[in-house]
Amino acid sequence: MQKGFNWSLWTGSILVVLLLILGVLGPYMAPYELDYQEKLRNEVVNGKTIIIAPPLPPSEAHWLGTDKWGYDLLTLLLHGAPYTVFVTLAVAAVRLLIGTFLGLYIGIQDKPQRWWLAIENAWSYMPIFIPVYFLLKGININPLTPTSTLVLFFIVLVGVLGAPSVASSIRQKTEQIKESQYVLAATSLGAGREQIIFRHILPHLKEQIIIILVTEMVAIMTLMGLLGMFDLFVGGTKMTMDPVLFHSITHEWAGLLGAYRGFVYSNYTWIFLTPLVAFVIAIGSFTLLAKGLREKFEQTYHRTPFI
Amino acid sequence: MSYVKQLLGMFFLVIVVCGGPFMLYTVKEEIVFAPEEIVVHSVFLIQQIASGSLGTYYLGENERSIAEDIVPFAMNTFKLLFSSVSIAVVASLVFGLFLQRFRMVRQLQKVLNLVATIPDFILIFMSILAAVGFYKLTNIRIITLSPTSDSANDWFPMTLLAIGPTIFLMKVISLKYVQIGGEDYIKTALAKGMGIWHVLTHHVYKNIKPFLVADLKKTIAITVANLFIVEYLLNVVGLTRFIFSKDGGYQFNAAVMGLLGIILLSILVYVLIRAVLYLFERVAVYK
Repeated sequence: MQKGFNWSLWTGSILVVLLLILGVLGPYMAPYELDYQEKLRNEVVNGKTIIIAPPLPPSEAHWLGTDKWGYDLLTLLLHGAPYTVFVTLAVAAVRLLIGTFLGLYIGIQDKPQRWWLAIENAWSYMPIFIPVYFLLKGININPLTPTSTLVLFFIVLVGVLGAPSVASSIRQKTEQIKESQYVLAATSLGAGREQIIFRHILPHLKEQIIIILVTEMVAIMTLMGLLGMFDLFVGGTKMTMDPVLFHSITHEWAGLLGAYRGFVYSNYTWIFLTPLVAFVIAIGSFTLLAKGLREKFEQTYHRTPFI
Repeated sequence: MSYVKQLLGMFFLVIVVCGGPFMLYTVKEEIVFAPEEIVVHSVFLIQQIASGSLGTYYLGENERSIAEDIVPFAMNTFKLLFSSVSIAVVASLVFGLFLQRFRMVRQLQKVLNLVATIPDFILIFMSILAAVGFYKLTNIRIITLSPTSDSANDWFPMTLLAIGPTIFLMKVISLKYVQIGGEDYIKTALAKGMGIWHVLTHHVYKNIKPFLVADLKKTIAITVANLFIVEYLLNVVGLTRFIFSKDGGYQFNAAVMGLLGIILLSILVYVLIRAVLYLFERVAVYK
């Protein structure tokens, strides 16, 4: 069935490519140094001296405005972009690697593996945010550990904890394909387990794996955003005691969103809206890509209902 | 017996999860993994439970007894959870199944799918912004964040909490509707001249029900995941108060009690919704 132009796929892919470019070049494109701070100053306007104090609203000097402490928001966003894009990608890759491996080897077994089904079932009801929150709580605030260690730790932790759900869908698909005639033919020709997995099953999972990668990225970004709401930022949280404030060390987008969430109630809403819009665009582009891919792959199975 | 086993397993899991901050911490520049810390804390917790108290927790500066607070907090959480899951089930049955054949409803679903691309916690923020803007324009107050205010309202957090599960469940049901709608027995029923409502209740609903029941657990899991954010951001005094203390340190006892309470409540909600569905069937389907 030929459907119209796949808008989601094209817009999604273009936006994702732009995001990737931003992730690589972002820090070099930033208009200010990362620690450049707009200080309180006096300026003479129309013969009157007025005090200009941050937060400065969006203007020509600061396209997206500054935050309450005078830091340029565009600069912060551009410096945070690599973390947002590549941490998400890395976590999704870890999940996919572990999940595909587990799913393939468990799915190929002759009998259903009860122990694994129990884990899968129990884990599917656990919002992944809860264990991650409790495990990060102890190490993420005012860390002495270097940022790179924390980021790496985050990638491994979230990757491992999220792997069972990926393994589940790969396992189900593997079990379906295992029953097909060509696998039987391959077995009777003497193909071993590895041969069947890598020559006959894996090529059929290609589409599925691509879709899982993108949907997992959406899920991971959401998780990062959620953790940000509870002051746990990727790469560490800097906490000041007087007053109690939380800052993102890496300026990762979800972290900025969490750190500035209090400004939703203030008169300086742009401080909150800027990271919000950036984050929504990032997450939206992956969602669009996932939707587009799914539409592309699923057109063949479409049936029109009778009622 | 298996129920007891499951409950014990749950208790164990909750303790392990809540023990996270003791288990993993940093000393100087290294991340330390010390699972034995959990044992010490759990022994203390069990001793306290055995002596008949649930322990205390700090709310701001005050030390309060958990046993005193847990019932009213649980009531609030239960109200939120139950009404949101009910909204989700009713809305997805009505719009995903019974009214799906109308074009307008399908358009509504498209809009919902579009909304679903935005994560729930961002929707909550956007709705706060919208409510504030609405207040500035019209002087009508939709939300109140103070839990002690005279005009404290329940419906705003309820509606927000219902968005996530509704979108999920409606997607599942309308997908199944499209699949089942293409089956031959539907064609046969229609060819025999049976009324559309008869086909919907006796052929489509009965075949969708297993999927609805299977995904009900997942729906509740999604609602619980969103509950944390809704209660936290909209300042609802519920069980999550025990888990996320807004300032101040991490409190093991309170976190265990809060998490256990939420799990027990979600089981209760599941049972209640099943009961409501059973009643609905008795009244509308198998009358």
